[in-house]
Amino acid sequence: MNRDRVVYFDNAATSWPKPPQVRDVMIEYFQNAVGSPGRSGHRLSIEAGRLVLSAREAVAELFGVGDSSRIAFTKNVTEALNIVLNGWLQPGDHVITSSLEHNSVMRPLRHLEQHRGVELTVLPCCHSTGSLDPNLVLEAIRPNTRLIVMTHASNVIGNLLPIKSVGAIARAHEIPFLVDAAQTAGVVPINVEDCAIDMLAFTGHKSLLGPTGTGGLYVRPGIELPPLLRGGTGSRSELELQPDFMPDSLEAGTLNVIGLAGLAASVRFLLEYGIERVHHHEQQLVGHFLKLCQDMPHIKVYGPLDARQRIGLVSFNVDGLSPSRVALELEQSFGIMARVGLHCAPAAHKTIGTYPTGTVRFSFSIFNSLSEIDYAIEALQHIITDKSSLCLNRQSSWMD
Amino acid sequence: MSEQTVILDGLITFYSSHHALRAEKILKQHGLNVLLVPGPREISPNCGVALQFEYRLHPSVKTILVSNHVCFEAFHHILAESSER
Repeated sequence: MNRDRVVYFDNAATSWPKPPQVRDVMIEYFQNAVGSPGRSGHRLSIEAGRLVLSAREAVAELFGVGDSSRIAFTKNVTEALNIVLNGWLQPGDHVITSSLEHNSVMRPLRHLEQHRGVELTVLPCCHSTGSLDPNLVLEAIRPNTRLIVMTHASNVIGNLLPIKSVGAIARAHEIPFLVDAAQTAGVVPINVEDCAIDMLAFTGHKSLLGPTGTGGLYVRPGIELPPLLRGGTGSRSELELQPDFMPDSLEAGTLNVIGLAGLAASVRFLLEYGIERVHHHEQQLVGHFLKLCQDMPHIKVYGPLDARQRIGLVSFNVDGLSPSRVALELEQSFGIMARVGLHCAPAAHKTIGTYPTGTVRFSFSIFNSLSEIDYAIEALQHIITDKSSLCLNRQSSWMD
Repeated sequence: MSEQTVILDGLITFYSSHHALRAEKILKQHGLNVLLVPGPREISPNCGVALQFEYRLHPSVKTILVSNHVCFEAFHHILAESSER
């Protein structure tokens, strides 16, 4: 075991490393003079605008969006989700969601339920696999249902949700469908037309492999959302009211141009690499981990055992040890970076029965290897073997 | 048809710089001569950039932009001042 080794298994929080192209374009940004996009007519402003356009078009290609102006950039997926939830839902509206949602969906919804009179139905997902029966969506629809919002994959369990079936139900009932692709954009092929997705929220710094501070929202033509923020856009400057056309309507204030330059590079990298190939690699990694865990009775893995129902993410616990203790040992003794706790998704942990203790979570990227999985299993075996001595420490030195 | 010298006597204005930049990219891909310029304030208060093109081609330019989801504010024909020089 090598203490200096770094094995990064926290890609669902933010991916690391990034493709070298991302770093290169961000360095270029500082080496070349770049102005403010859409704010002036000089060539440095135009150059900044081209960087933003390249990011927008790369993302549009990734999600099968025909008109790239329907993608607005935000600082992260949370902002994108908040634009929709705060802008779309009115008093008396009903919204349907799943019990696997991250707090970036659940907190705005609970707030709207308490303070705006929005009605909320949280559909229960399976306690063992996290799966969701699309018929539950059908049964939950009311005359005042104005939105269905769902994560594409759980950030706790790693299982994929049936967005295509739910999208078809939503479309048939003419209810807008919002998908939180925080964990799947860049891993699982997503086509907004095929899945009848009306709005898609994504983040740039996770499996899209871009920099933090980047994210965005796709909005189908025909849906007009009021903005969360109002301010300068460089367009219709004679007006003291926010323009009503995309993308400017949702992009008040100067964009994160350097971040979007990096995002354009990372998305281009992924498009060339192939999204199917990314998913296959991550499924191989998680499948290998699941297979090796079968011979380890002290490890309890949550979610589906079939890797094809997953992204490269797995939550587990070790008998007799708290998740934080396991994560501490993984990091301190083996250099393995994992995420521990509730992962900002208490409802998901309640679903699988791990609330409030939480789980240890490994989340992989294309830059992880099967040998790193073997190393992690070896580390867990050591931790299990040494468990009795670790438990003695519990009395004195650390807190959960 | 004596088109040795290209005269960019047309100007397209846009509400959003996104569409101005897309227009430039797409029209260049179609082999057309275009030039992004600071938007003249007397014509439009919008996004800072406008796109010069050959006005005689404006019907086909319009078709290309519409079919590629590019929204524009207006097409203008630049007359007298430049042509007198």
